[in-house]
Amino acid sequence: MKDSLVTVARSLIFVAFALILCALVFQFAGYNAPVMLWAVADRAFLRSGAIEQSLRWALPLFITAVGVGISFRAGFFNIGAQGQFYVGAICAAFAAEAFKGGPAFLVIPALIIAGTLGGALWALWPGLLRLRSGTDEVITTLMGNFMAGLLLVYVTSGPLKDPSGSGQQASSRPLDAAYRISDSLGISPTTIAIGAAVGILMWLLINRTAFGVLASLAGRNGTMVEWQGARLWKLGLSSFIISGALAGLAGTIEFMGPNGRIASGFLPAHGFTAILIALVANLSVVGTAAAAVFFGGLASAALYLPIMAGLPAAAIDIINAAIALFITARSKLVDQVLRLGGRPS
Amino acid sequence: MNEIIIAILRSGTPLIYVTLAGVIAQRAGVWNLGLEGLMIMGACATIVGIMLTNSIVAAILIAILICVLASVLLWFVIDRLKANPIIAGLGLTGLGLGGTALAVQSIFGSQASVTAPFGIPKLGPAFGAYGVLSIAVAAMPFVVFGMWVMLRRTRFGLRLAACGEHPFAARSVGANPSRMRLVALAIGGVLVCHRRGGTCRRQPAVLRPGHDGGSRLHGLCCGHLRRFPSGGGHFRCAVLRRRWRARYPGAIDVRRQDPARPSAGFALSRDCLRRLAFRQAARRREGRQLVRRTQGSIGRHHEVRATPSDPGCLHPGHRR
Repeated sequence: MKDSLVTVARSLIFVAFALILCALVFQFAGYNAPVMLWAVADRAFLRSGAIEQSLRWALPLFITAVGVGISFRAGFFNIGAQGQFYVGAICAAFAAEAFKGGPAFLVIPALIIAGTLGGALWALWPGLLRLRSGTDEVITTLMGNFMAGLLLVYVTSGPLKDPSGSGQQASSRPLDAAYRISDSLGISPTTIAIGAAVGILMWLLINRTAFGVLASLAGRNGTMVEWQGARLWKLGLSSFIISGALAGLAGTIEFMGPNGRIASGFLPAHGFTAILIALVANLSVVGTAAAAVFFGGLASAALYLPIMAGLPAAAIDIINAAIALFITARSKLVDQVLRLGGRPS
Repeated sequence: MNEIIIAILRSGTPLIYVTLAGVIAQRAGVWNLGLEGLMIMGACATIVGIMLTNSIVAAILIAILICVLASVLLWFVIDRLKANPIIAGLGLTGLGLGGTALAVQSIFGSQASVTAPFGIPKLGPAFGAYGVLSIAVAAMPFVVFGMWVMLRRTRFGLRLAACGEHPFAARSVGANPSRMRLVALAIGGVLVCHRRGGTCRRQPAVLRPGHDGGSRLHGLCCGHLRRFPSGGGHFRCAVLRRRWRARYPGAIDVRRQDPARPSAGFALSRDCLRRLAFRQAARRREGRQLVRRTQGSIGRHHEVRATPSDPGCLHPGHRR
């Protein structure tokens, strides 16, 4: 079997293993596991309108996950996508306040640029610390998530507070309808076009440019790439910035699209799910698209399970977590089974 | 003033216990990002244990068992399946948060907070204003000292640090890094469970699904910042090797002299080990040129395998 197929098959095997583990947990907890898994699949993909709902959740996840994949490819563990997502949305919200009343054909691109830049800047400082001082990027980006979360709380209860809010959850003033790029359902030609553009551009960047090739090599053996004359810090910093920019773009799409405002602590698992998607897809852009649809479907199903099927939404959290636990596993046994008759691994 | 000290002890003790768990895992070379999941699992198990058994001791034992089992699962995924420790740790955290919510709902039929009738005993009026603190807060200094002794003054601690800092060299002198990681994660599971018992199990004990967000990250960072400097591991390996040679004569030389035990490619000589252990010191003392010559000499005479990404790699394919 080809190496790429082995990788895909390995991911699928571990996803299946995680689902079996989840089924056992559900059964042990007193639920009917087959019924629960069927309800998830039904709400995520099978019922009419389910695909649209899944795509609504998949699109921002896909954009963030592609960015995460780029930094992972370069060998930098940027797990601050959540914070970059928040800061992107915050910057877009501030820009919306600043450009209020302007023509939509100018304001909409300005908001997208502001959000993208915000995310990029939030990824810049961990990148600089990592590449200049050797600070562990896992720590800085993790802490950056908390800082961004608290910043979101501050801006939604302070400078951008919606005075007409209910008080249960602090949120910003709603975006004018003229500047929205989709309705509350979250899918529109604009958002799909943005997602497609991101996918194509990032695929070209990774597979058809010197930066993509060198960044992938740097992730495997940075020392060798440096010996070959490439500047590791440039590659690393670029990957951090691109990763943050895409997360910021996803936050902007959430703000300008289905949400129409930013709320304190909205989509708290977005960054983690995006990391998971990137790893499930083995950091490939095409795989990320497929994995994003799968996880978008799970996110969509999580909303319906408690209401329609009387099942706990925690079931989706457990499925996500179980997949995360096993998805990066590299079992020799699985590899040997997959390479039956092939060359040794 | 007493109120401030009590508040500091109440809020700082959890961090200390989590930090200890993070430190011991870090020393074993594992990023334990699953601490939050372990904490919430331990809390859930304790509350459920109290309500089912009506005994705090039995409840804590159940919590310890659950946390150790979860730690063993993390070890299995990281060490045996070679999963990424950061992602696996985050997965364990998610499993703990989601599993707790599912368990609370399936046992109590609701996702609201669950309150147990009693919690861990407090110090009592004999301690004046400090009597409101639980006995786990009072035990904290002793636990910290015990951990310090274990990590800094015992063979186990030395072996643990050597395995975490340089598993290649530690393995070559007979230590088993995999087993050390298992032990470290299991101890961390006990400590994290203990941390919940210390402060959050007040009277009455309350469990909120999703509780504890962020505590393990503080603990993780504290543990990370307290990690010994790189290079210390080489010295530890050297000290360890000397101690073992004194206690177990021939334990090291067997691998070099017995051709029937090639140690799966890890045929490491005493000279090679010495050069590995003192490589950084030699670099400072005698300069880069000497190191190149030393590594070249090793590459010619011995089969040594290390990670190719290591700049000081002695992989046969990298002989100069």
